[in-house]
Amino acid sequence: MSLARAVNPNENETSTASETVVMVQGLSKVFKDFWGRPKAHAVNNVSFQVRRGEVFGLLGPNGSGKSTTVKLLLGLLNPTRGHIEVFGRSTRHVATKRRIGYLPEESYLYRYMDSAETLDFFGSLFNLPSGERRQRIEQLLEMVGLDKVRRRTVGEFSKGMQRRIGLAQALINDPDLVILDEPTSGLDPIGCREVKDLIVELARRGKTVILSSHLLADVEDVCDRVVIYYGGKIQAMGTLKELLSTPDRLRITMPVLERETLERVLATIRADLGRKFSETEAQESVLVDCPSQNLESYFLDVVKKARSGAEETSGAVSGGTVARYLRSEESERVQAKDRILERLASSKEAPAEAPAPEKKKEEASAVDASKKLSALLSKTTVQAPAEPSAVKEASPASPQSEQRQENLKKASEKLSGLLGNKGNK
Amino acid sequence: MKPILAIAKLTLKAAFRFRIVALLALFLVVSVTALPLLIKDDGTARGFVQILLTYSMGLTVTTLGLATLWLSCGILARDIEDCRIQLVVVKPVARWKIWMGKWLGILILNAMLLGASGLVIYGLLEYRGGKLNEDQKFVLENEVFVARGSAKEEAVDLTQTVEEIFQDRMKQSSLEDVDQAQLKKQIFEMLKHQFQLVPQSMMREWDIPLGVNPAELKDKPLYLRTKFIAMSHKSTFEDTRTFPMFWEVGPMDSPQSWRVVMMMTPNVFHEIEVPPNLLDENGHLQVRFINNQNETFYFDVNEGMEVLYRQGGFLANYLKGLMILFCWLALLAAIGLSASSFLSFPVASFFAVSVLILGLSTGTMNQVVEEGGIVGVDSRTGKVEQQGVFDHISVFFFKELKNLTEVVLNFSPVELLSEGRTVTWWMVCKAVGQVVILVGGIFVALGVYCFSRRELALPSGGQG
Repeated sequence: MSLARAVNPNENETSTASETVVMVQGLSKVFKDFWGRPKAHAVNNVSFQVRRGEVFGLLGPNGSGKSTTVKLLLGLLNPTRGHIEVFGRSTRHVATKRRIGYLPEESYLYRYMDSAETLDFFGSLFNLPSGERRQRIEQLLEMVGLDKVRRRTVGEFSKGMQRRIGLAQALINDPDLVILDEPTSGLDPIGCREVKDLIVELARRGKTVILSSHLLADVEDVCDRVVIYYGGKIQAMGTLKELLSTPDRLRITMPVLERETLERVLATIRADLGRKFSETEAQESVLVDCPSQNLESYFLDVVKKARSGAEETSGAVSGGTVARYLRSEESERVQAKDRILERLASSKEAPAEAPAPEKKKEEASAVDASKKLSALLSKTTVQAPAEPSAVKEASPASPQSEQRQENLKKASEKLSGLLGNKGNK
Repeated sequence: MKPILAIAKLTLKAAFRFRIVALLALFLVVSVTALPLLIKDDGTARGFVQILLTYSMGLTVTTLGLATLWLSCGILARDIEDCRIQLVVVKPVARWKIWMGKWLGILILNAMLLGASGLVIYGLLEYRGGKLNEDQKFVLENEVFVARGSAKEEAVDLTQTVEEIFQDRMKQSSLEDVDQAQLKKQIFEMLKHQFQLVPQSMMREWDIPLGVNPAELKDKPLYLRTKFIAMSHKSTFEDTRTFPMFWEVGPMDSPQSWRVVMMMTPNVFHEIEVPPNLLDENGHLQVRFINNQNETFYFDVNEGMEVLYRQGGFLANYLKGLMILFCWLALLAAIGLSASSFLSFPVASFFAVSVLILGLSTGTMNQVVEEGGIVGVDSRTGKVEQQGVFDHISVFFFKELKNLTEVVLNFSPVELLSEGRTVTWWMVCKAVGQVVILVGGIFVALGVYCFSRRELALPSGGQG
């Protein structure tokens, strides 16, 4: 679409007509009072485009215009100025909405309906045949961990559970474009991780995801490109790599060295730097520390261990498998390999396991199986992930890394059971 | 269609789960059952029907009408204010379908509640009717629990006579300065008045075509429904005298004619049972009143004489009556939904109730139209002498509103049922056409238009 190119001439990346999913040009939204006087300039001359398969982040502090932009994209608000196209159509085009899934920032669900009814209702709006609807409802409820509480009304749910069912309704139509407004708001760390893994999984299937959030970690974990809003205007836009990399700095991560060896390495580095900088600058610009695990990884680790002796819960349980109809072929392949290895591994290792419920054994063997699969698939792994990945540079272009493989598996099967490290991309 | 049905189902679920249906149903069942117990009837079939059918049905329709307005305002406005509608409109469903789904849901709810109330009333009618004495049971069976057709005398064309009298007057005196149209109108009123009067020792004959094959009414009794005024009394409404009225029914000078003298009171409707088989071969019934009293009687051309004859059973008639009531509820639902399409819940409720009150203020509307304005009515003429712009606008507005209201209120199913008259399918179709499609359609179009254009995610809850 030539228009899409014209919209944002500063972007270097090429795009074809078929790839542009959302095109926003000169978009402004002014909220007015009863008398028509301008009250708030929520969005001010914003332009961007989102391409197919991208995870696109709208980042900004509260009240910066992210949610207003999302509502404009969905046709819930009319632009004061500017132009929006979604799949090449107006935001009011009814048939286009068949391809969109939306999770709002709050739970706007009918409180008197239970989970299954809620999904059934939204499925009916997509004219899904009843058989297919039922199938998807089952898969989605399992995916968001609410299959055990399907008969409880949404009004009785905690905020996190409402978020989960909200996410499920956004995916009932297997959308090509998923718009998620603060998707992790109100979710526990496991839920957050599941949502992020799901986003990665959706993107892998070629789905486009627009993620609006003020939580930097969410955006950083999953987004390919972001725009940063402030005061209704775009302050920065680009890929995370473009925005976050500091080309004049270098970080090396390795196992702990002997003190003497470390001193020698540092002396060499400082001597090299001393040629360019003053002695003090050379001293101060080299930092050595032990990378610490971030809280999210640590929490997930603890939960993973605790789950082996898990108690019954009346709330949402950790989500299960990504709904079959939402999975990518790649994840299906990985899963198929997993299952073979799982059988092989469990037949050997099961007797060594401590007595535990059968499901837990499966989970444990899945972990082992995934490790084996990782080993098989990543012969060129540079380094075993002895440290938490939070201190490593995430590299979306290195599919061989063990971390990557583990995340792929995590997203496609036992989403929460196999968590431990951060960084999906 | 599936999305419309899904939204209708959602509306029903909301009503059920918030216990609105249970509360309303309980209130209706208790009130229609308790009302006849609280208000004592006079023991006659008519008195009993008056309370059970007229009052109970009136209460049901009033309750359901107000509940419908409230529910229809809330069901959409609340969805918009609580942002739930956002999740619906982002799905591939046109907004008009969402609106129609809500309307359909309320209609189904109304049908259920009206049906339940109707069933209770019908059951009580049957139950309590069985406890009347034999005479009153007979009256009930023949005059109330029945669907009776109605026939009146064909309107007499007085145009020719008016013209003849007018020309005669013109010849007699010079009337060039006189408003000729007004004069003709006066002549017409005079003739009409004479036509309705029956002076002492005079006879008035009605030739009433029943419009049915006489064979269809073979061996079936007919009923004369009549009302008259005794002209000598200073205040017709306080006249409690009774007069022996002499009636003759059947072909003139025929031995088969049926004669009767009945003691009758002016200003009230009387029903006289007439033996069967008195129709002539054309299906006409001749009725004669012979005034042998020292009094002049006035029989109104519309209400003075009417023949009622059996057409069908009560149950079918009752159901058709309920259908017309349902049409009114459908209109109220459209008004409520239409208001909530562009207003918040409290404002929409106020607006909808105001529309209802305005629509029912037919007396005020008539008065404004007749007086030609609102301010400065001359007490002698009863009209606004010097009409200003405001008067012109108000007369135009009220005239149009009156026409619209008449289209809606021109049905009286409860009255027809309590008088044992037939509610025809034509009436039902007319009610659907006029009340639901025509007037309801105006509100539906307004509501759908506003809802389709409204921004549903404004910070103030969507009031655009």
